[in-house]
Amino acid sequence: MVLQRSALHSISEGSGAKFHERFGWELPAAYFDVLSEYQAATMGAALHDVSYMGRLKATGADGLDLLNRLSTNKVIDLEPGQGAPTVLTTDRGRILDVISVISLDDYLLLTTSPGLQQPIIDWLDKYTIMEDLTVEDVTEDTTMMALLGPDSQAALAAATGLALGDLEPFHSRAVAVAGRPVSLIGQPLGALPGFALVLAPEDAPPVWERLTALGACPMGVDAYEAVRVRYGVPVHGQEMGDSYNPLEAGLIGSIDFAKGCYIGQEVIARLDTYKKVQKRLVSLRFSPDTAPSAGADLQEEGKPVGTVTSAIKIPTTEESIGLGYVRSASARVGNRLELVGSDGAWVEVLELPELFGPEKG
Amino acid sequence: MAITQDGVELGVLISEKAAEKIKYFAERDGIEGDVGVRVAVKGGGCSGLTYDLSITADELPTDKVVEQHGVKVMVDKKSYIFLVGTELEFSDGLNGKGFVFANPNAKKTCGCGTSFSV
Repeated sequence: MVLQRSALHSISEGSGAKFHERFGWELPAAYFDVLSEYQAATMGAALHDVSYMGRLKATGADGLDLLNRLSTNKVIDLEPGQGAPTVLTTDRGRILDVISVISLDDYLLLTTSPGLQQPIIDWLDKYTIMEDLTVEDVTEDTTMMALLGPDSQAALAAATGLALGDLEPFHSRAVAVAGRPVSLIGQPLGALPGFALVLAPEDAPPVWERLTALGACPMGVDAYEAVRVRYGVPVHGQEMGDSYNPLEAGLIGSIDFAKGCYIGQEVIARLDTYKKVQKRLVSLRFSPDTAPSAGADLQEEGKPVGTVTSAIKIPTTEESIGLGYVRSASARVGNRLELVGSDGAWVEVLELPELFGPEKG
Repeated sequence: MAITQDGVELGVLISEKAAEKIKYFAERDGIEGDVGVRVAVKGGGCSGLTYDLSITADELPTDKVVEQHGVKVMVDKKSYIFLVGTELEFSDGLNGKGFVFANPNAKKTCGCGTSFSV
């Protein structure tokens, strides 16, 4: 299989990055070292090439109306410049994908998990009966960067000359960086402030260089993965997919319980009303000197209660942390579980992440 | 594409009572011309597809149209595939549900009966 390459590939190569394959792309594992890249993202500003995420362009008058009928969040009233995360769910209330719906001047930009562009196009097409809607995959026609960290806003303010303090998550603004047009989207990673930049591939190198010159540290997928797990962000294939519903995955902040029917609504409303959510996404901390891996089983008092889905070492502290699913009764902050196959090792439930915040009030 | 059974083309069937109600609503809403009902499906609802009923005199060139009990029943080409053989009834009274669809293509129906999957 020929691996896909980003428009930033030669820049990454020139800076000495090591590459590896992920999601069918040849991606920089690290530019410098994982430790300094992780520190930049959590304490300064880090720039990550997220071109491997899916991007769809939806045109036609009925896009928001259809998406409102097929997904969990209320997206029908989004004006150009606004946006929202929403979950496409099956009729059994299971997750197809979490997408961002970004309303731009004359089309909707939908961002998907890596590689899910075609399944989502097919899903939308299946339910497009009389609607005016065309969806095309523009992943290869665009480049996408994520600027993450507490200083990300300051770096962008310096790059654009705009304060940007009022740009809400998932809302967007047309800006210029290094004289190139950029769609700037508020895109935090869990509680970590951040932005996404979507632009033409030919404009990507100068924009990347401008932002790194302003102090943003290039970050490869290894540091990004550590940051993702640290901030409790689920990804498709590990913490999201058709084995899970949005309530289990902590996505309640992207569910509108008052907007009316959408595919899967009946199941999701019933699970919520009768408190029937069986398991819950949790952040985990492992006892020192354990080396857990995804797939490891968890138990409480000898009974199976869950599974680890992601595990990393925090580069700064060498602490082992992870994400996993645990039965609702055991998913309590501070609860200690056992790691199956590691004698005496313990696992503590750190928190129950809610990627898009608590239930909307 | 026409779907037939014993040489008879199947479409959406409406009961006499449903036809009376359609005429009543058309008159109430001041719709002029040949009274018709458009029966369609839309993506959405709890189970994936939902029924969409509108009382109108406007016909599209791609519609399948069958007149029943003095009412023009119009079904667009794509909805027709999901609706062929469906019977439209009207249920009134205290526990009445209004227009009710009996669709032989529906494998699953949601709790309130307005959404289905095939």
